[in-house]
Amino acid sequence: MRAFNAELSKLFSLPGIWLAFLIGAFAPAVIAALDSTAQKEKIIAGVSTRLSEVGYIGLALGVQGVIILGVLAVSSEYLTESSESGGGNQITTSLTVVPSRFHFLLAKAGAVTVISILLSIVAILTTVSATNLILGEYAPAFEASRLIGAVCYWIFTALLAFGITVLTKNGIIPLAVLMINSSVVTVSYLLTKVTKLAFYLPDKAGFDMFMFTSDSFHTPFTGGLIMFAWVAVLFIVAAIVFHRRDVTS
Amino acid sequence: MSVSSSRKITLILGAELEKLVTLPLIWLILMGTFILNLVLAAAFTSAGLQGAAGTQSILKIGLASMGYLQAGFIILGILATCSEYTGGQIRTTLTTIPWRGFQLFTKHLALAIVTIPLAFIIAASGVLYAFIMMKDTALVIEIDAMIKTLVGATGYLTLTTLLSAAIGALLRRTTPALVVLLGHYFIVSPLLKDFLPSIKNYFPDTAGYYMYMPPSSDEINVLTPMQGTGVSMLWTLIFITVAIVFYRKRDA
Amino acid sequence: MLTINNLVKHRGTQEILSGISFKARPGRVTGFLGPNGAGKSSTLRILLGLDHATSGSALINGKPFAELHNPLATVGAALDGFGAHRMRTGRAHLRWIARASGLSRSRVEEVLEIVGLTNVAGKRIGNYSLGMGRRLGMAAALLGDPKILVLDEPVNGLDPEGIRWIRTFLRERAESGNTVLLSSHLMGELEETVDDVVIINHGKIVANGSLKEVIGNHSTLEKAFFALTSENTGDVV
Repeated sequence: MRAFNAELSKLFSLPGIWLAFLIGAFAPAVIAALDSTAQKEKIIAGVSTRLSEVGYIGLALGVQGVIILGVLAVSSEYLTESSESGGGNQITTSLTVVPSRFHFLLAKAGAVTVISILLSIVAILTTVSATNLILGEYAPAFEASRLIGAVCYWIFTALLAFGITVLTKNGIIPLAVLMINSSVVTVSYLLTKVTKLAFYLPDKAGFDMFMFTSDSFHTPFTGGLIMFAWVAVLFIVAAIVFHRRDVTS
Repeated sequence: MSVSSSRKITLILGAELEKLVTLPLIWLILMGTFILNLVLAAAFTSAGLQGAAGTQSILKIGLASMGYLQAGFIILGILATCSEYTGGQIRTTLTTIPWRGFQLFTKHLALAIVTIPLAFIIAASGVLYAFIMMKDTALVIEIDAMIKTLVGATGYLTLTTLLSAAIGALLRRTTPALVVLLGHYFIVSPLLKDFLPSIKNYFPDTAGYYMYMPPSSDEINVLTPMQGTGVSMLWTLIFITVAIVFYRKRDA
Repeated sequence: MLTINNLVKHRGTQEILSGISFKARPGRVTGFLGPNGAGKSSTLRILLGLDHATSGSALINGKPFAELHNPLATVGAALDGFGAHRMRTGRAHLRWIARASGLSRSRVEEVLEIVGLTNVAGKRIGNYSLGMGRRLGMAAALLGDPKILVLDEPVNGLDPEGIRWIRTFLRERAESGNTVLLSSHLMGELEETVDDVVIINHGKIVANGSLKEVIGNHSTLEKAFFALTSENTGDVV
């Protein structure tokens, strides 16, 4: 528990984490607001084909915030860019404070999870109010089960970012890959056109937890299960690699 | 300056080039981009092959991966300038080359020299792949149209790289630079395309799109390749200038 | 000759340097002393053109750093930290510096030999120890064989052998007519190396003169230092 608290305070004192908070808390609302505005006429006329996506599109794209969170949580341990100091290896300090690597990783993942939950709740609040504000009585009802799906999607995405960064030790690649792959037209979506197997990719499967579109492949529950399986496997691999690796290498 | 200025430019350009090519991460990114681009080209091609035979444009399919491909070049640009701030290398740079504006400009020049051939090779590899896989089913393409398109794609990728380098120099930290640029190219810009169609042509990426995409008749208010190049280049120059102004004023 | 003249530096609302003036003369090793955060590094950074002074000037042979024709051959500088990207090899780092000033690659091998890094020159800088990093910084400073050396905490992280090497090396440089300015907070070390001493505390010069003058009635430089720096700070060191 002490290690968990330490990880929380480490995360909150990171420069750049404000970027994650800002994007995580407000980007979904802005996107949802823009989308609602664009769709308003069609929705009022009752001809919108995308009524079920309204609002949720913001939550799907706004996941960037927790991606940054997950990546920064790990990459900051390895390298900080600063013109003053010669780039610190905080990981050395961290592992002398919490000698058990497994506990260290667990505490960090726990801190990332908690912050992701908080962020997703804030995001849902801002998104739902933005949608209601713009669409008024035409705003679709937000069902609790779908919102829980969105929260799960955010947590799992943050943990995926976290796990990949443990493996790469460098934030650039996971950040780029995950940001692009949660953008408007994802690589995974493209791959689904080539092979049905792509529906089992973590983001595609996770989408089905709360984005009910015509091309949904899984039920929300199996979608969540598949994404969780990815997270679990990745976390185990990351833990093994992290356990075996010399800190400085 | 006692040493002739032209000699100085050559020396500094040489140093900046050497800095770029001795960074292992840059080669890793470029290699990764090359491989991923081929994978994506394969995916697009196989998706294209399922379409009606005889109607596919090889160029369009070969370059469909450009949207993702540019991410590699964005990273390349950011790395080129932000790597100065790793391990305090900027101090060594500025005590060796204290002419700041000159130094940052030369860095962009060196980056362009490295980027142009690689951008061409990577863009061409995608088109080539599509060509080999689809030559039976697709429409015939003329060589000069292909060259024109590839030159446009190379120019677009180079301008994107330089723009990213300028943003990297402004922000000095890899993560925020990456978030800002990827956020714009992959999330904000595609969304704005739907929500604000009137001004979308004046963003660096959407304007740059017209540099390489063969014009299609079903779109309205398109830019010519030349206009696209102009808008894109203007953005890049503005950002490089702003970066240089800040770089000169700021404490290292 | 290095001339610091009435240097003032503000960072935000804080005044980091408030009117620093001193000189470092050819043929002498000048020690720049002060507790952590006193303004040593800030002064050196302004001298090397890295930071801008709010007012005042720091000149090298009468010119600001940025106006030097060939900086590397005029001033050799090694600031705190490695000053190098961690992913590059030591040799690649020195090579780009040499390239920028038109020096040959054989000169790179020469300085690697001088600082004793030839064996690890092919390794990534990220794997260097603190002492090796300092040696790499020295190598970069020596590349252009400059008449002036500006070194920030040069003995920090060096092993006893390295410290002795640096001491004799700097004495030799000064005796052959070069200017050496080094900052440090290691009194005992400095006492055996320097000719002149400048002591800075809270952004102000509190003592400036030859080693003998600054020590005055105190038995050692260390005692003189604490006497001078505690007068106006009280208990903060």
